[in-house]
This record gives sequence, structure tokens and C-alpha cells, in this order.
Amino acid sequence: MLVVLVCGIGLGSAAALTLSAFSDNLVFFVSPSDLVKSAFNGRQVRLGGLVEAGTVEKSSGGQAGARFKVTDGSASVPVTFKGILPDLFREGQGVVVLGVEQNDGVFRASEVLAKHDEAYMPKEVAEALKKSGRWNPASGPPPPASTWNQPATEKPPG
Amino acid sequence: MNHLPYIFVAYIVAVGVPLFLSAEVLFRTRSARRRLLSIDTRRGRGPA
Amino acid sequence: MPARSGRTLHRFANPGQFLRLSGVVLPWLFWAGGLLTAGSLLWGVFMAPGDWQQGDMVKIMYVHVPFAWLASAGYFSLAMASFVSLVWRHPLADLAAAEIGPVGACFTAVCLATGSLWGKPTWGTWWVWDARLTSVFILFLLYLGHIALIRAFDDPTRGYRAGAILALVGVINLPIIKFSVDWWNTLHQPASIGLTGAPTIAASLLWPLLFSAIGFTLLFAAIVVARTRAAVMERRIRSLLMARATSASGEEVAA
Repeated sequence: MLVVLVCGIGLGSAAALTLSAFSDNLVFFVSPSDLVKSAFNGRQVRLGGLVEAGTVEKSSGGQAGARFKVTDGSASVPVTFKGILPDLFREGQGVVVLGVEQNDGVFRASEVLAKHDEAYMPKEVAEALKKSGRWNPASGPPPPASTWNQPATEKPPG
Repeated sequence: MNHLPYIFVAYIVAVGVPLFLSAEVLFRTRSARRRLLSIDTRRGRGPA
Repeated sequence: MPARSGRTLHRFANPGQFLRLSGVVLPWLFWAGGLLTAGSLLWGVFMAPGDWQQGDMVKIMYVHVPFAWLASAGYFSLAMASFVSLVWRHPLADLAAAEIGPVGACFTAVCLATGSLWGKPTWGTWWVWDARLTSVFILFLLYLGHIALIRAFDDPTRGYRAGAILALVGVINLPIIKFSVDWWNTLHQPASIGLTGAPTIAASLLWPLLFSAIGFTLLFAAIVVARTRAAVMERRIRSLLMARATSASGEEVAA
């Protein structure tokens, strides 16, 4: 019984140690406001936020890439990226970009991940919400799900 | 980009693992029952 | 009267009774689980609409969310069995704990695999070390640790005690998994279905998910009950063989 108890305490403390060591990395990304506030340090970080509407310029020509701004509403950071963007990348989409802030304030990304929100809906529902003017995907998340089927019932004839 | 392979593999894995576990436990139960029966009958024939 | 309630509990959970009862229930569990799962997956694949952003990729949801739910729920059942095994030293709970471990580990592995297959085309990566993915990975390691520990002793009783303590310590991970997406910035999105508030999934996508979750849960239960049943039989075989060996050696000594 004593051996078992020692085993248990050992495992418990190992788990606690892992968790506390891990807590520094628990924040998967920083927001644009955090990045703007913090002093420039040239370290590689993950930056997370929404792709600001109207700022996406996909580079034409030989190499795939894009320039866009990542915003959290209060601050926005210009990002450049060379590479293939994920399929879900669009204006208003949540993204997490891995890279380094340059001293001119531009964030040079080496990796762009699309962050999905928790809303799932068929194309028709999304179209109906957009058409009724209650949601613009480029400006943010959709309205509460309890209101989704209203446009279908209120749809004007024709 | 064609996404069908991802969906296909995900479904194969998700259906395959419970199927495998079910088949495994079926064989395990059968062999246990067979051994149990053989012990019981041998014991029945034993000292009596 | 405590003695009497103890006996009643024992009567319901004694191995012979369990073999009879589980023999009746098991076919129903397997058939209901299998049919419900098959039906809901066919529904999800062929009849449910695609997501407005993800298109057909959203269909991986039907084979990811049920396994994520069962990874946690399975661990909770492991902890319950461990508690009964530790406090009441019930032999059936010992066997159940030993049998839940491998099934839970397999289901957690499927959750990680289908999640990875969903993450690559949507997020753009197979894996990231964010709080949700990491805490589920730790759950997988807890299952593996439990599988190894409960079988690590020559005296099975000591294995059951050690395994039970590990399982109960590991319960702390369950709320961490659940709330990881709310407490920290994660790449994984927050829950779409909660106890409070309407789900943020359109009904046409939600129904097949609900049925596939029920179907896989019944299958999980069926597999665990069937394995425990086999373990009870195997234990009976061992004790019969042991009894025969001692009686045989006794006869030799007598002769």
C-alpha cells in the first residue's frame, strides 16, 4: 500500500510539474494589441486575430503569397506571407500566424493557420443571413444560432 | 485541393477501430467459453 | 442497515449475476449501437448539407466529436470503476477498470487521428501544441499509463490499487480538456454544443451528429461490457485450474 501511495504521489507531482512548466506555453497566440504594446524584441511569436476586411492583397505572379492586416478590433498589425494560404483563409476569418515582427512594424509570417469558429451552417443559411443583411462574414462572427431560421420563414415571395 | 481522401481515411479509421475491438472481444469470449466448458466437463467426469 | 445494503449491492454486482445479465443485454447493445452508428453516418455523409465554408470537410465532425466525447466520458467511467475498486474492493470494478483502459485509449487515438485529418485541410496543419490538443494528448498518455500500471504487478490486487489511484489523480485533466478552449487562446474553436444556450450548429448538421454520438456511445458500452464479461470468464478459468492443481497435488501427497 505504501509503494502504491508513493507511486501516486510521484505521478501527481509529475503531472503538476508538467502543467506548471507548460503554463508559459498555454497561451497559443498573442493578440495584435499585445504585440503593439510589447517592446520590439525580434522573437518568433504566434499572432492571432481576424483578417481585417479590405486589406488582403494576394500577390500575383510567380510566388504565392499575400499581404493583409490582422486585427482584434483595437489594434491591427500588417502581415506579409509567402506560401500557400489555407482554404478557409478569407476576410473576417480568424487566423493564427507564426512569424517575427520586423523593426518597421511589419509582421513577417512563415506559417498561416486558419482558425475556425464554433458555428456550422449550410450554404443556404449563410446566404440567407448575408442576403437579409444580418451578417457580413468579412466583419465578424455570425449572429446567434437561435435567429438563423428566421430569414427562411420571413423570406419575401419571389 | 481535393478533400475526399481526408474524409475517406477518417471514416475508415473511425469505423474500423470499433469493428476491430468488437471482433477481438467476440473471439476472446468464444475461446473463454470453450475453455470453461471443457474444464467443467472434465471436472464432472473427474473423481466421481 | 449498512450490512444489508452492502449485501444488496453485492447481489446485483456479483460476477455470476453479471454474466447472466450482460448475456441478455449485450446483443441489444451491439445491434442498437451498430445500426444507429451506421444509419447516422450514412445520413451524415449522403444527406446532410456541407458547411458554407468547409464544404464536405465538415462531415469529419461525425467521426470526430463522438470520439472526443467518449475519450472523456470513457475516462470518467474508468475513474468511477476505480473509485468502487478502491473503496469497496469490488472484484467486478477491478476487472471493469482493467478493460475500460484499452478501449478508452483506442477511442482517444481515433479522436486524435480524425482531428488531425480535419485540421490539415481546414486549419492548414496536422497538429499544434495548443491547450486543447495537448490536454487530449495527455489524456491519451494517462490511458496508456493506466494500461501499463494495472498490469505491472505480479499480485493483481496491487495492480488494481495502483491503477485506481492513477485513474483518480488523472480526473483533474477532464475539466482542463473541457474548459481549455475558454481559459486559453487555442487554435481549436470553443464548444458548439453547451449545456446553456442554443448550439451554434444548424439543425440539419446537428441531428446526424446527435445520433452518431449515441450510436458510438452504445458501441463503446457494448465493447466494455463484453470485455468485462470475457475477463470474468477468464478469471473463473484461472481459479478452476488453480483449484484442480492444488487438489491434484494434494492427492499426490496423500498417495
